[in-house]
Amino acid sequence: MDTQDLAINTEVAALLQGMPRDRSQLLPALWRVVDRYQELTPGVIDAVSQSLNIPYAEVYGVASFYTLFDNAPGKVPVHICTDVMCALQGAGSLQEAAEDAALGRPVAVRESACLGQCDHAPAAWIGSQVMRRATPEAVRAAVKAVGHE
Amino acid sequence: MNEVRRLLPDLRSASGPASPERLAERGFDQALTKAWAMSSQAIIDEVTASGIKGRGGAAFPTGLKWSSVNKAEGQTKYVVMNADESELGTFKDRVLLEEDPLGALVGLLIAAHAVGARKAFCYIRGEYREVEQMLAKAIDTLTQLGWAGPGRIDVEIRRGAGAYIAGEETALFNSIEGKRPEPRVKPPFPTNKGLWGSPTLIQNVETLANVAILFAHDAQWFAEYGTKATAGTKLVALSGHIQRPGVYEVPFGMALADILNAPDLGGGVAGSGRLRAVLLGGAAGTFLSPDEVAQSQLDYASLGAFGASIGSGAVMVFDDTVDLQWVLTKLARFFADESCGQCVPCRIGTQRIWEIAEKGGLWTRTEDLRELGQAMRDASICGLGQTAPLALLSILDRPGLRQDV
Repeated sequence: MDTQDLAINTEVAALLQGMPRDRSQLLPALWRVVDRYQELTPGVIDAVSQSLNIPYAEVYGVASFYTLFDNAPGKVPVHICTDVMCALQGAGSLQEAAEDAALGRPVAVRESACLGQCDHAPAAWIGSQVMRRATPEAVRAAVKAVGHE
Repeated sequence: MNEVRRLLPDLRSASGPASPERLAERGFDQALTKAWAMSSQAIIDEVTASGIKGRGGAAFPTGLKWSSVNKAEGQTKYVVMNADESELGTFKDRVLLEEDPLGALVGLLIAAHAVGARKAFCYIRGEYREVEQMLAKAIDTLTQLGWAGPGRIDVEIRRGAGAYIAGEETALFNSIEGKRPEPRVKPPFPTNKGLWGSPTLIQNVETLANVAILFAHDAQWFAEYGTKATAGTKLVALSGHIQRPGVYEVPFGMALADILNAPDLGGGVAGSGRLRAVLLGGAAGTFLSPDEVAQSQLDYASLGAFGASIGSGAVMVFDDTVDLQWVLTKLARFFADESCGQCVPCRIGTQRIWEIAEKGGLWTRTEDLRELGQAMRDASICGLGQTAPLALLSILDRPGLRQDV
């Protein structure tokens, strides 16, 4: 084990401190580490596996099932809803604006299935905030603000 | 006035949605006090008498479900609120939890009390982080007032992480248990073997909110709205080409045309102003033609005559500029993406439908699509695969909707 792995193991163990060592805590545990690291690298998965005493393959199997855990390395995900209702209200232009603004920034623009905001379409989801009736300008500004909050 | 506000709180209310004042104002504290003084059987009888049916889409009689869980053998029982609302055009649980999170939670507590559960879960989709915070506040309020919490009924929020299939009840159990959220084969049903193999009562957010308002009043009050067959009100979520998109509470039995056109509801078709079709019930719903919309009421029998169902209450409106092939292709991609891959009919079937759609074969390969759809309906493990072809099949049955734009 190299020093980097050791550091991650210690950090993850600290993050998960106080959680019962129980299989049912796997999903909440994965949320905690994703909120911290964004990406679930093999090193992070291994650390969760050791910390909760669940085999690596099981942790990987669960983690890889969920879309929101599938993040690009070092990039903040920006979700643009491109499902039917948002597409009817101009989601395409939001996506273009987001991709344009994301160039050279630590942001990954992702197409999202329905975000459940059809009454305020089109919608985007950036960081912890859902943008309702989003405009290309607002999305561009929000993408540029990532990392500056 | 066509809109009702019973499940949704009075717009004039100034109290915080998760506050103790709101609990009292809505009569939910009395509902809890009343239920706590009743026997399990008396509570279940009241739910049965009200005629409440599940509002998540399946419309299973709620009293019957509670009775099954109550009678099931088991030391430990669980109750679950399903707030994993992730289907296209469906956002009524989001609005309900934003505006009145205490209602669904009070229903959950009454459910737990009735079936003898000490542990309750609220499973909410990961995209609803702001709604989750509101729910957490409401749980705090109920804990501070002594209704929830360790030693009483412990209510825990579980956050999903972007998997539509996790909303399927048995997949949801696997997700809570820390496993891959793949559906289980039924039977056994959750009422006998749910979370960790114990009898589990799982209900949609809106169903539980109905329970709360029922106990804040009584079955007679509850039936003041609705039809003989279906008492009460339903939340409908209007989206697409509609003047006033949003969630509205309406009595069962209301004409679909009124829901779309009444000035205090949908306000009329937007876009071109000319209706092409309504997709009713969600991504796995039924397309209705303008003629069928004109003849339908929001009730199971009326819609059943057109092979449609209320489903989750999603009402997606398309004007005559929308290419329905494009809509079907989007739906096909959604199901292909969200199929868990566990069973072949769904894994391969959703993929094939998407491929046929992408290649422009939806209007020409109708026999292939019907055969494929039938195989998926017959042989898929869960509701996703069984219902994924429904919207497509509903258009194959309505040649009038198949015109090119």
